[in-house]
Amino acid sequence: MTDRSGTPLVELRDIRVAFGGVHAVRDVTVDLYPGEVVGLVGGNGAGKTTLIRTLSGAHPADSGQILIDGEPVTISHPRDAKALGVETIYQNLALADNIDAPGNVFLGRELTTRFGNLDDSAMEDATRKLMGRLNPKFQNFVVPVASLSGGQRQSVAIARAVHFNARILIMDEPTAALGPAETKQVGDLIKQLREEGIGIFLISHDIHDVFDLSDRISVMLQGKLVGTVDKNEVTTDEVLAMIILGKRPGEVTQKDLAELH
Amino acid sequence: MAETKVSAAETEPEAQAAPEERGKASLRELFRSAEVDTRLLGMLGALAIIWILFQIFTPNHTFLTPRNMWNLSVQTAVVAIMATGMVLIIVTRNIDLSVGAVMAAVGMAMAIVQHDWLPKWIGFDHPMTWVIAVAVGLVLGAAIGAFQGTIVAYVGVPSFIVTLGGFLVWRGVAWWMASGQTIAPMDTLFRNLGGGSTGTVGGTWSWIIGIAACVGIVLLQFTKRRSRGRYGFRLRPMWAEVGIAVIACAAVLVAVGFLNRYYLPPALATQTGHEGENISLGLAYPVLIAIGVGIVMTFIATRRRFGRSVYAIGGNPEASELAGIKTRRTIVKTFTLMGLLVGLAAAVQIARLNAAVSSLGTGMELNVIAAAVIGGTSFAGGVGTIVGALLGALIMQSLVSGMVLMGIEAPLQDIVVGIVLVLAVTLDTIFRRRAAR
Amino acid sequence: MLALLALSILLLAACSSDDNGGGGATGEATGGATGSDITVGVSWNNFNEERWAKFDEPAIQQALQDCGGAKYIKADAGSSAEQQLADVENLIAQGANAIIILAQDGEAILPAVQSALDQGIPVVAYDRLIENPGALYVTFDNVEIGRLQAEAILAAVPEGNYVFIKGNSADANADFLRSGQQEVLQDALDSGDVVNVGESYTDNWDPAIAQTNMEQFLTDNNNDVDAVLSENDGMAGGVVAALEAQGLAGSVAVSGQDGDVAGLNRVALGTQYVDVWKDARELGKAAGEAACAMAQGTALGDVANTQQFDSPGGNDMTSIFLTPQAITQDNLNIPLDAGWISQEDLCQGVDPGTVDACG
Repeated sequence: MTDRSGTPLVELRDIRVAFGGVHAVRDVTVDLYPGEVVGLVGGNGAGKTTLIRTLSGAHPADSGQILIDGEPVTISHPRDAKALGVETIYQNLALADNIDAPGNVFLGRELTTRFGNLDDSAMEDATRKLMGRLNPKFQNFVVPVASLSGGQRQSVAIARAVHFNARILIMDEPTAALGPAETKQVGDLIKQLREEGIGIFLISHDIHDVFDLSDRISVMLQGKLVGTVDKNEVTTDEVLAMIILGKRPGEVTQKDLAELH
Repeated sequence: MAETKVSAAETEPEAQAAPEERGKASLRELFRSAEVDTRLLGMLGALAIIWILFQIFTPNHTFLTPRNMWNLSVQTAVVAIMATGMVLIIVTRNIDLSVGAVMAAVGMAMAIVQHDWLPKWIGFDHPMTWVIAVAVGLVLGAAIGAFQGTIVAYVGVPSFIVTLGGFLVWRGVAWWMASGQTIAPMDTLFRNLGGGSTGTVGGTWSWIIGIAACVGIVLLQFTKRRSRGRYGFRLRPMWAEVGIAVIACAAVLVAVGFLNRYYLPPALATQTGHEGENISLGLAYPVLIAIGVGIVMTFIATRRRFGRSVYAIGGNPEASELAGIKTRRTIVKTFTLMGLLVGLAAAVQIARLNAAVSSLGTGMELNVIAAAVIGGTSFAGGVGTIVGALLGALIMQSLVSGMVLMGIEAPLQDIVVGIVLVLAVTLDTIFRRRAAR
Repeated sequence: MLALLALSILLLAACSSDDNGGGGATGEATGGATGSDITVGVSWNNFNEERWAKFDEPAIQQALQDCGGAKYIKADAGSSAEQQLADVENLIAQGANAIIILAQDGEAILPAVQSALDQGIPVVAYDRLIENPGALYVTFDNVEIGRLQAEAILAAVPEGNYVFIKGNSADANADFLRSGQQEVLQDALDSGDVVNVGESYTDNWDPAIAQTNMEQFLTDNNNDVDAVLSENDGMAGGVVAALEAQGLAGSVAVSGQDGDVAGLNRVALGTQYVDVWKDARELGKAAGEAACAMAQGTALGDVANTQQFDSPGGNDMTSIFLTPQAITQDNLNIPLDAGWISQEDLCQGVDPGTVDACG
């Protein structure tokens, strides 16, 4: 059980993002505690990716506040996010296909020797140790990641995020392109990271994955937050109703439930 | 929402190979276990075949003679120097069409400096003249490159357009500098940069450089092995290490020996009071410069962060940006580097020709791009080696020089080179597709 | 945005140094028109070479000035044959009464030439042949240039191995020059006194390519080359560079053309044997005079100093052939006295007392 007595690890408060005349995110407030997974769900265009990009630094918010450990911070570039311990695993993984696994893990943060040259061996060594923890069967350390399977690429992306002492992890549709075995693998990984006290924002459209992995679920619809619920206190139908109809549990009628099926 | 449930295998599937495929597979594995780049070997093989064919088919069998090889090495140098820079530009999904025109403008500038300006201030044949002239060329080339690169990276105009503009502008500037006049001759010391009978390091130094190169290769292998061994990684099998060292060293020493067997022409020997002697010429300065550039560029591309960033940007520009790589600054650097190399190549070219003409470097950009592409650089970005580009330049120049020896007319030469270019890229595409499967 | 555009247009107009005559009438060249009513348009193919701006253009302008103050307008096709078609039409639209064309491509320009002639506008084909008998062909006789080159070289090297470095394969002049050389050398070639040991075209007349080709020919013949017929000075520079690398400069006779500063200097230094000089000013003057005369109503057949010439295309061309001069070390004073080159440029690096013209 997550301890929610102290300050949240991350708090996104009254976030507003607009693209021209379109309000992608409207006054949304969500938070995340250490060692918990918050699932961020919603239909297409709900604004969940836009919201999370304000935290990852890919697209700063127009207004609102981001607090980490209770302190307000400014995040205007992915570099800022990383400096604060926020690591993102994008839906497309953001891997350079022509570079090998160690190169990708250390992309932009390469290890160098005392002469300033790339220390490929040290990077490979660190990556081996990481993968030993995350995906022990992984052996392809010298091939470009383009030749790896979807699950292997996913583990490289996760290894990159984890290596740099991330305290806050953002995962955008991590299992979308994976088969059942690999989905389970990623799920185990997420649970493992949670044990280590890392807070994870999990974006997913798969309601079952979300239920399986999250502690709390925040639902967005058309840029607004419908509500945040504890997984143990709701049913999938109720969450579906939130996603599709925008109605909180308790506002949902029998007729609504019938409409959903 | 479609859910793609891909059944992925963690390990490669065991191939049910037929006996002959197993034979082929083991040759591939041989190379893989030796950790040798098969593409590179393919290029060397093609080069060898071209050389042997020309040796057979030239009327007087003059192709594989020390003299022709020496000439070939100098003739290749200018394109080779620039091709190394073009690799990085194409890798980042850009292009530089202005290379020939910039060469003309920078060449003109260097010529004017040493022919018109410096003699007025420090007199004719001053020992520092060539240094100042080269410095001017390098700085000017880099400045032009930086300028073009900034427009590409920070203003966002496609490099094709920017350098197409450069292609027109700098040619016009070159003409304007001297009203189309030819500027000749060059400073005596400066001329050595272009090769010729005085522009070589000589027999003894060539051997020294060759042996140093040998030692360098072995040392390189040694350090790499040691650094990997420190982490307990799988090492190349010893037989492969020794094999590669022996073959590489042998190649270097054979090349040096061959170049050393090109002696000072008898007429010049007589003129300089060494009648009847065999004085080895050895490595020409342009060749030394080209090799030096190749080594430095390879080092930058593979062992420096800048190089890693270049390849990352080529592979996935958004990912690079998200990873915190300063993409725009990196792109400006690639163009600046290219400009610098063009300046260097221009120095070699006008030294060799002993004149600067406003038509210098016409068509060069195509030769340089072709060399890089034949060497394995792909326009899709993210892929390409410096060594490949050097080999590409050598292959192309071998074709042209050999065809002249065979008496093949210029228009026909163009046809052949064009076909070879397309063929090389086609083969490359096919093999790459096969390897990815 | 609009302001920027307007500003750049203004700037371009200010930079343009042409006197854009807009006065002349298009259509028939009326007889009896005086010089100042005449506009002559010149369509250049490319201003890249030194000589056009330095010699030809001023000469044409002067000739037009002397012809009663006729106006001069021009266009630069930037080496594009298509562009030149438009340029000619443009010049006519601007009121040219006669057109002088330095053709980028003698065949591609034919439609524009015919169109001009149909509109009653006389055409002068300048330096490069245009196969239309209605045009006046004013040139230095390129075949004659080839003859002069070969004559001089043959006199210096009556027996031996010859190499031929030709110009761009797409340029008809390259073949004209070669045919002139062939005429002179035919007997010697037949008797075996002169042997052709190497011959090639040179893309773009590029000196660097000429140098590489020469290196290959020297390799192929183990330096056993006695003379090189280079069709112009630019390429001769490349040839001499290749010879110098073998210590053969000065002992192998090399020809050239154009009277480039570097070329004449090489003649003075002794590394180039002959430079066929065409005073481009004469060419400009002849063309300017003829164009002005025809614009004022003189018929093609009545233009002064013409002769008929059977072109390779079978056309009977009315032509003015100017005589080029072969310049060797003995008569370097000719271009010097004509003001074509300064003594400083001509004699750079020459040992005092070795060359008459250098004192």
